Amino acid sequence: MPSEPTISNPASPLVMSQIHRVRLGWRIFLFYSSAVLLTGLVSLLFADLLWRTGWSSSGIVLLNLFIVLFLLISLGCMHGVFGFVLRMTHDRRLTRLADYRSRTIKGVSTALVFPIHNEDAARVCQGLRATYESLEKTGCLSSFDFYILSDSTDPDKWVEEEQQWFGLVHDLDALGRVYYRRRVSNEGKKSGNIRDFLRTWGTRYRYFIVFDADSVMRGETVVDLVKLMEANPSAGLVQTVPALVNATSLFGRIQQFANRLYTPIFIPGLNFWAQGFGNYWGHNAIIRTEPFMQHCDLPQLPGRKPFGGLILSHDFVEAALLVKAGWEAWLAYDLEGSYEEAPQTLIDNARRERRWCEGNLQHFMVIWAKGLRGSSRLHLAQGIFGYLASPLWLFFLLTFNWMLWYEGQTGLSRITVRAFTPFLRVTATQHAFIIFVICLAVLFLPKVLALVYLAFDKERRRAFGGLTNAIVSALAETAFSALHAPLQMLWHSQFVAASLLGGGCAQWESQKRTADGITWTEALRQHWGHTLVGLIWGGAIWRLDPLTFWWFTPVMAGMVLSIPLSVLTSRVSLGQQARRVGLFLTPEETEPPPELAALRTGMAALDEEAAIAPPAPDSGLAGVVLDPYLNAIHVSLLREKRQNPDFARALSNLGVGQPEVRTLCERLLAAGPSHLDRREKLLIMSDADQLSWLHRQAWLRPSATLARWWQSQIRQYAR
Amino acid sequence: MSAPGRIDAPGQLAGRPLEEWNGAYSKVESYFHALRVRNKVLLGQLVALVLERAMHRSAAEPQRSATELAVEEMDHLVNAWFAQVLQAAASNAEMLSTRGRMALLLADMPGRWQDQFLRPGPWPDEFVLAMRDGYLRAGPNFQLANMTPRPLDLGPIATLTQWSRFPYVKMAATWILFGLLLVALFYVTHH
Repeated sequence: MPSEPTISNPASPLVMSQIHRVRLGWRIFLFYSSAVLLTGLVSLLFADLLWRTGWSSSGIVLLNLFIVLFLLISLGCMHGVFGFVLRMTHDRRLTRLADYRSRTIKGVSTALVFPIHNEDAARVCQGLRATYESLEKTGCLSSFDFYILSDSTDPDKWVEEEQQWFGLVHDLDALGRVYYRRRVSNEGKKSGNIRDFLRTWGTRYRYFIVFDADSVMRGETVVDLVKLMEANPSAGLVQTVPALVNATSLFGRIQQFANRLYTPIFIPGLNFWAQGFGNYWGHNAIIRTEPFMQHCDLPQLPGRKPFGGLILSHDFVEAALLVKAGWEAWLAYDLEGSYEEAPQTLIDNARRERRWCEGNLQHFMVIWAKGLRGSSRLHLAQGIFGYLASPLWLFFLLTFNWMLWYEGQTGLSRITVRAFTPFLRVTATQHAFIIFVICLAVLFLPKVLALVYLAFDKERRRAFGGLTNAIVSALAETAFSALHAPLQMLWHSQFVAASLLGGGCAQWESQKRTADGITWTEALRQHWGHTLVGLIWGGAIWRLDPLTFWWFTPVMAGMVLSIPLSVLTSRVSLGQQARRVGLFLTPEETEPPPELAALRTGMAALDEEAAIAPPAPDSGLAGVVLDPYLNAIHVSLLREKRQNPDFARALSNLGVGQPEVRTLCERLLAAGPSHLDRREKLLIMSDADQLSWLHRQAWLRPSATLARWWQSQIRQYAR
Repeated sequence: MSAPGRIDAPGQLAGRPLEEWNGAYSKVESYFHALRVRNKVLLGQLVALVLERAMHRSAAEPQRSATELAVEEMDHLVNAWFAQVLQAAASNAEMLSTRGRMALLLADMPGRWQDQFLRPGPWPDEFVLAMRDGYLRAGPNFQLANMTPRPLDLGPIATLTQWSRFPYVKMAATWILFGLLLVALFYVTHH
């Protein structure tokens, strides 16, 4: 019987010294004041324009929306500007605080955890393998354990995970180093999954590193993270900045290029004002186990959706709680070798954003929690406005259209007065154009700075396929972003509205895809509304004022062209064609690091296998009953699991061991899996004794007493 | 291959049609395939061994099909062998079967020891050790600890969480949409 120690109080962190606190205060003041100053000046110019063309209550609404929206883009711009300057100089950052490289990690135990939920198990295991093999080369493998923490609810996925896990430990000879655990219930979703791991094994490890299902990390980077934690005893969390990799579609490659080119400019800006009060993005980060267990078990928020209940975007809140408890959270943005993958289509991307939107809006509750650091509140606020900005932008455009319509209805001619600022000797049209150009400059300046930074770095320049290729790619990416932005505006507005009305994260039907991307029919199904909005809105503006229509064409074009945009950017063939002509190249494409090369080789072999024999429905259930080894693995894991009292209780609550399970098994044998629902299948698959029994019965019983489905499954073993 | 002391009629084996034994052969062979016994000679020998035992019972149990007898014999044979190799009691057949199959997999029988499978002892020490020591560990020893969520003091804002309890939110939203529709209708019909 395992012992049940309680966690001791973690050693008090070395609280940030007063001098650093004051300096951090100045950093935040300087950074945000720059954005506010810029916003103030341009808003004054905008207010002046409104004054010239006739002050009205709609104008006041428009001005307020402008102020908020401009402040948001100014903050983005300031991240770029500060980041650029800091890239050129050398700012205070975690890797420079202490000599960490000379540290030893001998005797320091770290767990690498891969929480998964109905993911592609083969891909997860290939990613784990790449990290494992890379770590093995560092000679430090013995300090690390790997855990696949499954929350899968799909019976077939469950079996696939066990099969892939066993194949992996067999190939790597890593039994006792790479572990697999599936939870009985999904309580608390991902944060509950991690919590369950910590409650069961957390006290064995000083640190744990969280991976996403598609994460890969270089061995040296993993070791460096542990060394950084050892060298900085006040650090509770260190977040790496994962590079997007392995994109194949045009959309995926554009996103990947943007991530690799612009992130090195933005993140130092973020680090400038956040310093040790940084954030956590949910994966590719190392966490000090003890304080996390002590302070980061998330409470349920009071009330119901959209704000109450389980905290969905748990990562921001966990970082805020760690920081609140006096621990530091750092961004180790200069550590290379941390990777993740991104959605390959516009629709996949929107699907992910919908989940995040609901979680981030919920932070509106958390942001007011007593005791949180100001910087944590800023992280939370930025996450909220990341989604709230879209409906505000939509509202801004609609207000502007309303004013246009209203002006047309009054039948009065527009008489402009002199500018409020007397030295501004420009016409109203020129005045509007100046504001427009400033907005564009603020939006695009970070991109220009990223290219300037690239121009100064010979090695990076080559990694991006040369400066010319990078410039052309950045221009193409900007054009795509301009078309994508209005779509994002509509989508985000829809998500925000759905979340606020308590609609929540409704399940999106799976996409109809071909090997080369999404189909035209699927795109029509997803985007007909966007196209219609674009056509009607565009038509209405044209009717109101043809001149204004041309100003609105970038917005309308994104909506009207959404169907072809979605289909064409999902194409793998176009992504590869762009690569052949040197567009959107990234360092990981031009010079793949060994860990990614290994991953790609492994995945290519698996893709070939999957293409030859795609899994049939209920193939997992068939395997776990008929295959002598899959059955043995599954049953052994269940039996081991029963030794944990928490698991045993959960299994019992599920109904395992009840006589009804045998009745279900009989039905399964006699009628086949189509006569059982998913819950019943999961119940059978959670009962070790019944599965052992099923295995023997399926092979021993006369064929005539088995469902035809079983007979056909057994025939597949005859060769 | 036939039951001892019995002369079969043409087209029969152990008193049953050849086709029936063919079905039995196929089922037994499928199970050994499932166990990844890939060597054809060994596979043929193992299936023949099982069928011979089934044929012995054939005359005494005419009401049961050849396939039933054969898979039952296969099950007995495999479990008895597991009991011997693992030095385990055969009291719980299902438990033993699971343990035995797991041991076969961990000892890499399909890769290294196909010739030892179902063979009477003595077996090579390495094989026996691999079979007996094989234990699937999905995780290290549990070291259970408690985590307790600390409540967040959300202050007065917590009352906002009750807003969705307001029973008229969706209705009010519907009315607003309806109102907008009326405004649009008015505009279209009056201009």
